[in-house]
Amino acid sequence: MSEPVTDVTEQNFLEVRGLHAGYGQARVLQGLDFSVARGEVCAVLGPNGAGKTTTLRALCGMIRGRGSVTLNGRELLGRSPEQAARLGVAHVPEGRGTFNDLTVEENLRIGAHLRTGSGWRGRARRAVVAADLERIYGYFPRLRQRSRQAAGSLSGGEQQMLAIGRALMPRPALLLLDEPSLGLAPLVTRELFEIVRAVNEEERTTVVVVEQNAQLALDIAHRAHVLEAGRLVLSGPAARIREDGQVAEVYLGVSVRSRKAG
Amino acid sequence: MSAVTDLLQQAVEGLGSGAVYASLALALVLIHRFTGIINFAQGELAMLSTYVAWQLMASGMPFWLALPVTLAVSFAGGMLVERIVIRPVRGAPELTVVIVTVGLFIFVNALAGLIWSFTVKDFPQPFPDGGLDLAGVRVDWSTLGILGVVAVVMGLLYLLFQHTSAGLVMRAVACNPASARLSGIRVGRVLMLGWALAATVGALSGVLVAPVLFLEPNMMGGVLIYAFAAATLGGFDSPVGAVVGGLFVGVAETLTGAYVHVVGEDLKVGVPFVIILAVLLVRPQGLFGRAAVERV
Amino acid sequence: MSTITAALGTDRARRRRAALTALLAAAVAGCVPFYFAPFQVFQLTMVLLYAVALAGLNLLVGFGGQISLGHGAFFAAGAYAAAVMLDRYDTGHLATLPVAAAGCFLLGLAFGVPALRLRGLYLALVTLAFAVFLPPLLKRLEPVTGGAMGLTVDKLQPPAWSGLAEDQWTYFVVLGVTATALLLARNLLRSRVGRALRALRDNESAAEVMGVRLSLHKTLAFAWSAMFAGVAGCLYTWVIGFVSPDSFSSVLSITLLAGLVIGGLASLYGPLLGAAFVMYVPSVSQDLSEAAPGVVFGLLIIAVMFVAPTGLAGLPGRVLGAVASRLPRTTAAPATAAPDRTPEAGPAPSTPSTPADPAVADTEPVGAPPRTERE
Repeated sequence: MSEPVTDVTEQNFLEVRGLHAGYGQARVLQGLDFSVARGEVCAVLGPNGAGKTTTLRALCGMIRGRGSVTLNGRELLGRSPEQAARLGVAHVPEGRGTFNDLTVEENLRIGAHLRTGSGWRGRARRAVVAADLERIYGYFPRLRQRSRQAAGSLSGGEQQMLAIGRALMPRPALLLLDEPSLGLAPLVTRELFEIVRAVNEEERTTVVVVEQNAQLALDIAHRAHVLEAGRLVLSGPAARIREDGQVAEVYLGVSVRSRKAG
Repeated sequence: MSAVTDLLQQAVEGLGSGAVYASLALALVLIHRFTGIINFAQGELAMLSTYVAWQLMASGMPFWLALPVTLAVSFAGGMLVERIVIRPVRGAPELTVVIVTVGLFIFVNALAGLIWSFTVKDFPQPFPDGGLDLAGVRVDWSTLGILGVVAVVMGLLYLLFQHTSAGLVMRAVACNPASARLSGIRVGRVLMLGWALAATVGALSGVLVAPVLFLEPNMMGGVLIYAFAAATLGGFDSPVGAVVGGLFVGVAETLTGAYVHVVGEDLKVGVPFVIILAVLLVRPQGLFGRAAVERV
Repeated sequence: MSTITAALGTDRARRRRAALTALLAAAVAGCVPFYFAPFQVFQLTMVLLYAVALAGLNLLVGFGGQISLGHGAFFAAGAYAAAVMLDRYDTGHLATLPVAAAGCFLLGLAFGVPALRLRGLYLALVTLAFAVFLPPLLKRLEPVTGGAMGLTVDKLQPPAWSGLAEDQWTYFVVLGVTATALLLARNLLRSRVGRALRALRDNESAAEVMGVRLSLHKTLAFAWSAMFAGVAGCLYTWVIGFVSPDSFSSVLSITLLAGLVIGGLASLYGPLLGAAFVMYVPSVSQDLSEAAPGVVFGLLIIAVMFVAPTGLAGLPGRVLGAVASRLPRTTAAPATAAPDRTPEAGPAPSTPSTPADPAVADTEPVGAPPRTERE
């Protein structure tokens, strides 16, 4: 989106330092430190209530936090969601958050809303939005078939695709995915994750994905962080975490069981 | 034959007043779609706008110049009301927001009395006298004019919402404000725009009804009840429903007053009460609304 | 452990203090009519009777979380019930009270059944529409109600044994009824009914899951609430000796709600404070202008909702609570402004977070549960 403003290397494109956040009296995050390199897919794993969703919400401005979160050298904390979005953060919330009264294409056009801020007008803008629409339909051919349909009439998987598509419309610097597999059939989930991988490879979009289904997330992630009770208990390359038997048993096994229970 | 003509005559008059209810109901529906609340001050804001128009004309401005100025003032006023009065209680329980609009109702009503006194003022009829004669049914120019204005407003709103990007953004906010913010939409500004539009549409209802009711601070009290009935009947989510509901309520009111002698002129105000109660009991979402999902 | 005993201690102390306060209040209330002029005593009497209506409204709005913009109608029903009984049947005052109370309870029950199906907002619509409809209806029922001219009936007369003047006797009678009504309201709220109501207000679906019988309690809340308004109306007839449709316009309903909100929703003393506002704001500010009461009421309602949704009665507690919660918590300032001051003509609108930007003002957490109070 823009040139690095301060001393940013590719390694700490997203940098989280001492992040505390919570809801009212409930303090969920107890000081998180991690960084995500540009173009990386980062998985945030952990059991229910570990603070995964809270982390994403703090990153995108939905809740307030203390500490520091910089994206490409710019502070994100203390900003509203709309400001964070304008800095290139695209958050796909848990439960998708599609505009159910609007058609699929209108949903995507809302995603292009930020393009208005780019100073393009009239024909130039329309061309850019049309190109973006084509791009998204390229990733999600099913959305093209349903472009005139109300988002509320889509299946769960299609809604998740739409939510991700909308988030990708403005070519965000950082894509935050909160439990994309929630309530979806395994086949659909796999398809979805493949698309996310494709987007990451083609557009070098940095992705932070929060998942209960650790196996899936580790398949596409470069790095992974494991959260427990608001603290980071483990970080490392996704491949290593996947293969570390003890980790799988202690942390990821827990998460798989709790997923079945919930 | 004359009985039929008489019936039609009454129906036409009903459509005339129904169009006024429709435009105030339209304002209510706009607010409701954006904020999920019912703005009890909508009628009073319209009354205040009408006083602005009156003041402009009293200082020598012709009606057709005073009208756009009034609408512009109302637009700005609507934005201010959202920013100053409604924004601070956004996210608070529904009860709080509704009570704030009731407070605004009381305040604006008294403010108009404070500035312009409670004495009744004449308001000029913008449309020419006379009218058409359609097979014995007389249709005044003023009735046609009011219906025309409401039709134009409907058309403009339709164009705005369905065919502009600003309208698309507004619909997105009405549908899911949280997601709209995540998409970078400045929801606060869009809500201001929504209140501004509602105030403008409401202002029209005040200006249109003032020549008939005469201008005074309590002028819109009754109209508000009819507009409530119209919006309830049409469905608080549906602009089309508001207009259809308004016309229906207008006709129902006039016919009941004229033909049901038990009711008569003096008890006509019972008609909106019965309509509201009946609709809410039988089909709470109204004719054109979708079934509301209780927010928990 | 020590904190528990300390809490018990303060609880006992609080009870003793409450008893003392009640005694003191009773003493003051008892002396009032002998130290004030008849007109002032009359005004205080009105405050007391409005307090009954507000206590009823409080059951519905403050504790039940439903809005009624039509309580003036129940007030009117009680007033007319008493007036008609006195006028046509010459029943004597005392007999009118239970009839007005029971009548309005039933009326409220009848209203409560449709109210069941309405969300708070729509209930406000229906009740307001009813309040607007009532005066013309009263005018129409002329043979019974006296039409637009209203009915003039006997006021309360002091019995010879009391040795009191009319205003003093009336004051004491109304005081007695009001005290009884307020106690009843208090006990209602402490009973299962009150707990159920609060559960309903705070989360309807959750309360239902917990086994609160939603429909029963919502209907009953409406009925009790209407009964209190009816009793207040009955007292009104006793005190004023005159009823007319125009005394009970929708303005009365709205004023009652305003008074309650200003006095304090969901508070036991709120109705008394609110009643004082209903009585004195118009009489004090009317000298300035006809519009002044409305301006004052309107601004006060909005101000109360902004800064103290629990009303004036809740203000001391809120202030104390706020101070207490501020003290130990040294809130670290939210992250300082971003270090993005470097000049950059990038396409992204990098608005520094100045409070002038309206978007910054609403830092409400989007996904957070709705607040019940504002800080």
